[in-house]
Amino acid sequence: MDDDTHVDRNVLSALREVMEEGYPELLDIFLADSEERLKALRAADSAALLVETAHSFKGSSSNMGALRLTELCRQLEQQAASLPCAAVLELVGKIDREFAGIRPLYEAERQRCPAKI
Amino acid sequence: MQPLEPLTILIAEDSAADRLLLASILRRQGHQVLTAANGAEAVDAFREQQPHLVLMDAMMPVMDGFEAARQIKALAGETLVPIIFLTSLSESEALARCLEVGGDDFLAKPYNQVILAAKIKAMDRLRRLQDTVLQQRDQIARHHDYLLNEQRVAKAVFDKVAHAGCLNAAPNIRYLQSPYALFNGDLLLAAFTPAGDMHVMLGDFTGHGLPAAVGAMPLAEVFYGMTAKGYGLAETLREMNAKLKRILPVDMFCCATMLCLSFQRRSVEVWNGGMPDGYLHRIASGERTPLPARHLPLGVLSPESFDERTEVFPMALGDRVFLLSDGVIDTCGANEQLFGVQRLQQVFAANRQPDALFEEIEQALRDFGGEARDDVSMVEISLLEPEQITPPTLVYSDSGQSCPLDWSVSFEFRAATLKRFNPLPYLLQLLLEVHGLRAQSGALYSVLAELYSNALEHGVLGLDSSLKRNASGFARYYQERNARLGGLQEGYVRVHLQVAPTDDGGCLTIQVEDSGEGFDVERVMERPLDAIRLSGRGISLIRQLGRNARWTDNGRSARVEFIWEALA
Amino acid sequence: MPVVTEVSPDGQKLTISVKGRFDFAKHQEFRQSYEDKQLSAVVVDLKDATYLDSSALGMLLLLRDHAGGDDSDIRVVNSSTDVRKILAISNFDKLFDIS
Repeated sequence: MDDDTHVDRNVLSALREVMEEGYPELLDIFLADSEERLKALRAADSAALLVETAHSFKGSSSNMGALRLTELCRQLEQQAASLPCAAVLELVGKIDREFAGIRPLYEAERQRCPAKI
Repeated sequence: MQPLEPLTILIAEDSAADRLLLASILRRQGHQVLTAANGAEAVDAFREQQPHLVLMDAMMPVMDGFEAARQIKALAGETLVPIIFLTSLSESEALARCLEVGGDDFLAKPYNQVILAAKIKAMDRLRRLQDTVLQQRDQIARHHDYLLNEQRVAKAVFDKVAHAGCLNAAPNIRYLQSPYALFNGDLLLAAFTPAGDMHVMLGDFTGHGLPAAVGAMPLAEVFYGMTAKGYGLAETLREMNAKLKRILPVDMFCCATMLCLSFQRRSVEVWNGGMPDGYLHRIASGERTPLPARHLPLGVLSPESFDERTEVFPMALGDRVFLLSDGVIDTCGANEQLFGVQRLQQVFAANRQPDALFEEIEQALRDFGGEARDDVSMVEISLLEPEQITPPTLVYSDSGQSCPLDWSVSFEFRAATLKRFNPLPYLLQLLLEVHGLRAQSGALYSVLAELYSNALEHGVLGLDSSLKRNASGFARYYQERNARLGGLQEGYVRVHLQVAPTDDGGCLTIQVEDSGEGFDVERVMERPLDAIRLSGRGISLIRQLGRNARWTDNGRSARVEFIWEALA
Repeated sequence: MPVVTEVSPDGQKLTISVKGRFDFAKHQEFRQSYEDKQLSAVVVDLKDATYLDSSALGMLLLLRDHAGGDDSDIRVVNSSTDVRKILAISNFDKLFDIS
């Protein structure tokens, strides 16, 4: 699913231009950090932790052009304290699935320009 | 998108990807980048590297952005280190906090390069502006310190050159003056003449600061120099005016009131150029006669146009002359009102104890609520018995080895000279070459002055001294004197001086002759040897201070001796 | 408040009006109002002058010096009572025609 509503291609090309040789590294870090955040979200036992992680995730996904992911994280950040447990779990699940969906796209980007060390 | 100047920018952001991205953006814009992953690292990095600008994520572990910002602002002190918070716009509560801790701006995610560059540029401009302001402030502070130091030096030099004269030594002078009066142009000088009279001058230079102080020095030198030599008010004023006119720029001048107080003659001679009214306070009647400015200030008129005419007033024992600078009158009160002459006169009217006048005026100024000024100067000179006043002994610089002991000289001063020249200082200087006479210089000068003025005023000009019996007659006498002297066509005063050694030491014979009508010597001699003040020919003075005083040729020729014992 | 100058139609008389406080702040303006001109008669109008201090007296002296010193023809007109008093104490009526 590489629909434009999920990932903004213009953002990716801008990133590629800014980062130059650093682009692959950026992608790697984003993917690794995102995995960490997802783990944290799944394991979170407090609203504060959810809010904090969602906030952080929201930030970097917006920088990477992942529009729908950003929106979902924003929702979780805003509502984690007020939603009942089930609703929270559901939102986390959506985030999980959204990321899984866009991940191949970033990996493909990674393949296109291997890091020159 | 090149920046104006490369900056060192600190990025504090816990998300590694965001941090990397931001760093790249900034490097591309030409800046040096430092990174920190949390607030504590950010503060450390700031402390070590002193970046110009900080991009701070609000939510970070270990120490959040708010605390880090607070600490960094504290470390920066008065230097402006702009902090741009990296935050999402939706959290308005967080935004308020950012401002509270000193944040200067915000940047939302996703990072927009254009917006970021614009914000950095704006913040940098502010930073440099603050820097300039601080530099200028420091420069101003430094200049101010130099200025204060220059003033200190100028004051020290001035104090050596001008010194206080007899201001502190004489018991009959009271004065009030700020130590920094000099830098407001206020000048107070006082010195004894060789005859034991007192010259006092209260001056007020235009302008402030060093220019005013610098003008005061040559003025003080003339004042002290000429007064010590025995020159009168008129000649000293003439010289001071000429000097100031010559050395000061056109728009600078010195308002001044100058007095000659004679304890022997019990009179005060006054010249006021541009100063506020002085006051002559007569103790017996309680009356205060104003002494207004009749002349332009010193340094305005050329020597040809200068008017040195003075006014002379009789004084009784205990009478006082009070002078003040315009700092008193110009003291500004609550609603920009001036203290003014009327309030001053109210203080005069209410005053019961003459000795308390200064305190009462100071109190009135304080009550008026005015701001204390540096240029409030007041001086009060009382007429005491001559015996109560002890002028300092003159100090001579030569060794005494070469001293003229056997000589004579004669002078004839004719009409044209009598009008314009006062020979007394010169004659005195001549006589003081004889060391034996130095101890009597005061008496010598008084007698010489008395003989000369008798010869000139009563002899050549034909003035009747009985006119001086009362205050109004006094004024008329001096007006008449000036008028007759101004119109003098013929006449002379001859002065013969003879110095000869004796067995014990030496003897000076002074003889003064005039071309006048003479007077009835026997009648005047019959009067008891008593202190006749306002009128009388000062004959008793001459008889008291000198030896073998004799009048011959129907009073037209006067002769007196001074003797001294050889110095060991 | 400004210093206003006006030259008479025949170019012979210069009128300088000083408004507000006549003090050191006006130094440059006052000088500039006459320094490039050939002066014969000068009138200094103090109708709207509220205050005069010793630096103003100095400025008048500079003007007089520029206008020929003892040969100058300077009139100071419309002085208020306060201003008149200051000019009287300093005896400036001996140098200027004051009204």
